Amino acid sequence: MRPSRTQTLAMTIDEKVRKTLAELGVTDAAGVEALFGEVRAAMEQERSSLVSHGASSEAERDRLSKSLRDRWLARQNGLLANIDERWLKTSPKELKPSVGKSFNGLRQAAAALEMDALVKGVGLKIPTKVAAVDAAEIRGAGLRDLTLPGYCRPLGSLHPVTQMQREIEQIFLNLGFRIEDGPEIESVYYNFDALNIPESHPSRDDWDTLYINAQTVLRTHTSPVQIRAMEKYGAPLYIIIPGKCYRHDNPDASHTPMFHQIEGLAIDSDITFADLKGTLDFFAKKLFGEKIHTRFQPSFFPFTEPSGEVAISCIFCGGEGCRVCKESGWIEVMGCGMVHPQVLHNGGIDPEKYSGWAFGLGVDRYAMMKYDINDIQLLFQSDVRFLEQF
Amino acid sequence: MKISVNWLKEFVDVTSDPRQLKSDLTMIGLNTESCAPVGDDWVLDVEVTTNRPDCLSHYGVARELATLYRQPLQRVEVFLKESGEPTSAAATVEIADPDLCARYCGRIVQKVQVGPSPDWLVKRLEAIGQRSINNVADATNYVLMELGHPLHAFDLFRLRQHKIIVRRANPGEPLRTLDGVDRTLTRDSLVIADGERPVALAGVMGGEESEISSRTGSVLLESAWFEPVSVRRTAKSQGMHTEASHRFERGADLEMAPLALDRAADLIQKVAGGEILRKMIDVYPRPESRKDLLLRRSEIARILGTEVAWEEVERILCGLGFQTERQGTEGWRVSPPSFRLDVSREIDLIEEVARHVGYDRLPARVRPAPPRVERDITREKIMAVSSLLVGLGYHEIIAPAMVDPAENQRFADCAPVMLANPLSQDASAMRSSAVPSMLRAIRWNLDRDLRDVKFCEFGKTYSLTTEGTPEERRVLTLGATGHRRPASVHDSEKVVDFFDLKGDLGTMFAPFDLPKLDFEPSSCPYYEEGCCGRLTSQGIALAVFGQPRQDLAREYKLRQAVWVAEIDLEHLLNFSLRPRQFRPFSKFPAVERDFSLVVPDGVPYARLAAAVAGLDLEEIRRHRPVDRFRGGAIAAQHHGLLLRVTFQSQTHTLTSEEVGGLSQRLLAVLEPLGVRLRG
Repeated sequence: MRPSRTQTLAMTIDEKVRKTLAELGVTDAAGVEALFGEVRAAMEQERSSLVSHGASSEAERDRLSKSLRDRWLARQNGLLANIDERWLKTSPKELKPSVGKSFNGLRQAAAALEMDALVKGVGLKIPTKVAAVDAAEIRGAGLRDLTLPGYCRPLGSLHPVTQMQREIEQIFLNLGFRIEDGPEIESVYYNFDALNIPESHPSRDDWDTLYINAQTVLRTHTSPVQIRAMEKYGAPLYIIIPGKCYRHDNPDASHTPMFHQIEGLAIDSDITFADLKGTLDFFAKKLFGEKIHTRFQPSFFPFTEPSGEVAISCIFCGGEGCRVCKESGWIEVMGCGMVHPQVLHNGGIDPEKYSGWAFGLGVDRYAMMKYDINDIQLLFQSDVRFLEQF
Repeated sequence: MKISVNWLKEFVDVTSDPRQLKSDLTMIGLNTESCAPVGDDWVLDVEVTTNRPDCLSHYGVARELATLYRQPLQRVEVFLKESGEPTSAAATVEIADPDLCARYCGRIVQKVQVGPSPDWLVKRLEAIGQRSINNVADATNYVLMELGHPLHAFDLFRLRQHKIIVRRANPGEPLRTLDGVDRTLTRDSLVIADGERPVALAGVMGGEESEISSRTGSVLLESAWFEPVSVRRTAKSQGMHTEASHRFERGADLEMAPLALDRAADLIQKVAGGEILRKMIDVYPRPESRKDLLLRRSEIARILGTEVAWEEVERILCGLGFQTERQGTEGWRVSPPSFRLDVSREIDLIEEVARHVGYDRLPARVRPAPPRVERDITREKIMAVSSLLVGLGYHEIIAPAMVDPAENQRFADCAPVMLANPLSQDASAMRSSAVPSMLRAIRWNLDRDLRDVKFCEFGKTYSLTTEGTPEERRVLTLGATGHRRPASVHDSEKVVDFFDLKGDLGTMFAPFDLPKLDFEPSSCPYYEEGCCGRLTSQGIALAVFGQPRQDLAREYKLRQAVWVAEIDLEHLLNFSLRPRQFRPFSKFPAVERDFSLVVPDGVPYARLAAAVAGLDLEEIRRHRPVDRFRGGAIAAQHHGLLLRVTFQSQTHTLTSEEVGGLSQRLLAVLEPLGVRLRG
């Protein structure tokens, strides 16, 4: 049975060399020429595919070339050997001359195959380097060196502030808090008025504000999101608010006009100062280690009352007193307080029914403290020598 | 505020050592930064919060300590030797704008000898960082530091008609203040005027002309109460901040005015001699009575989480100057003292109780939120993208959002959000594009010979909408330059190019359920023509990327090829994460075939790929280009393309015939594009 042309086309060379010319339906000189053309094309394609695939080392190049050579030229079962066997030897007399001629041409091309592969492509990539590594081949030659570095793809990194932020977020997520977000360009109402910081009061000077216009500022803290969240969700409410804030501060080793804050807020029907103390103590210990102590001291923020500052025993000297804690043994880590009833009221929550606590901390400072970074400018210089350490 | 320990001891019996004192003050809310020895004295640096003007004095701090240490607080009593005519016969005081000045007390000390202060006075003032001026000025300054009430001394004979009028300034009125600055006043400013012109900025600073000098014979002492908001406005508009304005704008003590006046007059007499005229002038148009507050025991417990004993609450509040009166079992009626303007609600009283019970003595409990189930999908998406980027070798940066508007304008055509009071011109606009910050970040590293850089930035851009309201958009920016990987024995160095970024974007979008990710060559004003592409899904632009134009690259001193991508996070985050769903893979072997194709140069790969995809043949599992070359047997204006195709069926092993048939169909669909098998 003669196979159709399509069937013949679909056969691979490997399949074809196992059949005779008659089985392949080749009956004339033109057929022979076409068949051998196909074989040469296949050979060419394999070579070029090898070239394009490339090799990462001289050893691999040699190995690839060898396998290509063996495939075509091996005395036992090489493609050419098969062609000799199936096509030439069994060809009918009238076709023998043309088969013989084509076969010779093919042989010459094949002889050049090795050279060709070497010179024209494979191996041009790293012509000079001695490199690893084919186990079987190189072991004997003694070139295999397992102590060479591995093949590595350099990793990137998350910014230390992001890492710090996520670590803090995770502690509160574990406590069941939710993450809330708000705009950086904020109205004076949300940034100040609703937080009980009237324009007329000197407390507003505690925030060096960058103004867009008389009604709009770059938020000076993440606290405006407290009001926005109260309006949006009502009580009970357990959230933390990470984000960028801005102050009119000239840059130096501990100030940048842009910085990162995390605000926390818990509002419920039975929240007391005890919850504030306990939860923030829990948080500080999870972040800075179980060994630290916390200290709560009174302070003033217009939007909380009673207000406080939280200090932790110095993580560098253990409370003995050192340069970092200015010999005090304590490091201030955040401001906090019970949400001012006026602020609850402004957020649409009845202060007689609900109470809450809140805190605010500077993420950049935390990252600096925990990762021992001495200049805040480093955080925002984008120097790869700095970033790759995290 | 600097506080002398010796001075404190005049009012309260302080026995603890200065270090303990520092810590004790801090623990009742008077954060004390330092304590330093000065001679035989110790000086504490106490940070007084804006709500506590009463503690801007030694007496105020002493009151806190007396309450803390359960010690009596020494009363301030003055016994004046008055003589001569009544003060009101020698000068008159009129408050023309009583809304801004609630009280004005005045005394006259005649025949003073202005000169240097005695040593003890100089020492005391210098210990707390105050410069000695002359005995009269020092006396008023001393009373300010002692009792916290600002006073002013006028040279009586420089006051025309010996008259004091407290009024709003007339627009444009001039006044040279003590600091030698000529000021032009506005209607907002409250002034002290004599019979003809302003002689002092009320509550801020005196005028130079009526200043006490060595020739001064009679002094008119002012002890008044000015409205805080007005003082704050006046000082701000004149760019001034003085010891007086600092206290008045926080709220001075109305009842302290006469006492501070007597104290100062007495002191002047002691250090500068002179006679104090009889009976002070006290203009007090509407004595204010403050509202009593109700303090409930239940509310103390509700806020502090613990009950505080009746006696303890009373001890604390009375010690701090409040008057309490029990109301049955409910709590107290409390009258706040005149010096505690910050106390106006029940919660303010609770804070006083908490402060003096001691925050460290209040109970603590850990309070988790009630359980909740909703997931934070946006956070999950950001986490997925950022971990992929880290895996792909990108370092996250955080870039400044405030930029130079001129630079910004070259990368965005929308109106920027401008700052009204920027730190500097080159940080006066909020960025509308994150590209310049990325270029600056890369430049910083190239300038330092750090040449292999891959950065990503999760940030925002800011713009004004057509209505003029500010809008913020989340953007992700990638920047890459240099080598893909460091050189090693295993591999040669390769330079990062367009396709690195394209590939990374593809990887980054992989977690998202994008119905389709389309690429098209694009153009953009700041990217090199022909080196810019766009990724979209269903017509929604997700990313634009390319190589910055050569002139820009030169400007940013980018000495090597830099590639930048901008990803619209607002759009990307709207897509949900790809749902995980298993689809059974074929159990039958796959056949891989390479097609060596000749492709006309005008036909981009995307058209080939689209044509193959258009076949929609399930058996063509995969196809990808593995080599692309020119020359040799390839005709001009054509190139060779080696296409590797994987054939596989879900239902059976493909026969040679089937693969052949599929190959034919594949070639057939490419034919109209002018693509043919290499001959």
